Amino acid sequence: MNPPSDEAYLLAALRMAAGTDPVPPGVAADARAAYALRLPGGVTAVPLPRATGRPGARSGARREPPARPPGGAGERGAPPGRPRAGENEPRLVSFAGGGLAIDVEITVCDGHLDVAGQVRPALPAGSRIEIRTPRLSEVRFPAGSGEFAATGLPHGWLSVACHRPGQATVATRWLCVRP
Amino acid sequence: MPYELDLLDETAWRDLVDRFGHRMWAVARACGLDTADAADAVQAAWLRLVESLPSIRDPDRVGAWLATTTRHEAVRIGRRRSGDRHAELPAEIPAPDTDPAAAMLTVEDGRRLWAAVDALPEPCRTLLRLVVTVPEAGYAQIARRMAMPIGSVGPTRMRCLRRLRALMGDDR
Repeated sequence: MNPPSDEAYLLAALRMAAGTDPVPPGVAADARAAYALRLPGGVTAVPLPRATGRPGARSGARREPPARPPGGAGERGAPPGRPRAGENEPRLVSFAGGGLAIDVEITVCDGHLDVAGQVRPALPAGSRIEIRTPRLSEVRFPAGSGEFAATGLPHGWLSVACHRPGQATVATRWLCVRP
Repeated sequence: MPYELDLLDETAWRDLVDRFGHRMWAVARACGLDTADAADAVQAAWLRLVESLPSIRDPDRVGAWLATTTRHEAVRIGRRRSGDRHAELPAEIPAPDTDPAAAMLTVEDGRRLWAAVDALPEPCRTLLRLVVTVPEAGYAQIARRMAMPIGSVGPTRMRCLRRLRALMGDDR
């Protein structure tokens, strides 16, 4: 039930006035904590649209599959988001921005996410890749291939940031991935 | 209070959360999302603001921008829930909607709004009360409670909201 905008806003105004559905404390706390996720001077890499037709086919200049994290299984190419029942295959999203192409492959496991990916072109020496969630980050120093991986991340919001010496940080748009 | 977004410090950010968080939550819930999905829609809007701070040209309209972005994310989540795989990528950053009902509500505004609901004839009065106070209620549940065909719920709801908006317009 997704009402058009004016209907949604009128219903929202009624809901606010009724006062029967306060904002849960966790929602407000997460909103306040989002301030710490800013990357001043950074560039946002936006997701590339998926190609239509062949299942899993993608637009963009993907050449090599990203590294697969330990425990990763199944085929590539399913989109991110909530999996269907029994589905445990990785979902692939490609981003572009700031002169970089960032492929991110996410596997939803029971209780956690595994993430693998690749950044192109190769990052200069001294670069680091930060796999970010609102509450923890994993830092990787990619080899020449630009591949990275992290396992055991919590379900929910995820972004990958590429920190390059002397250049703007490039971070993917935040994605929400839940079982 | 205007905001200088480039210079936004943590205190100003918390002020944004306090001022607009309730409205964003209400917008997400008004789109029919349960509490877990509404929480994701609201957090999506805050994260889009984190990503978009340097590109927002009109700080005075950041509240409308947050409400609009919440609605877009809520609609996308609703579509994804119904199996639309094209809805799984993050939404593009929308231009703010201009809707007077999205403006900050005062206590007096809220009183007038509900007085207008009470002035509506049936079935509008009961239908809107149900839709507002039981946001998870689907059309089937509402149809049973209202003893009306399920296919009539959506059009009736839209007609009732139009009548409410007209009443509010007359009241101004």
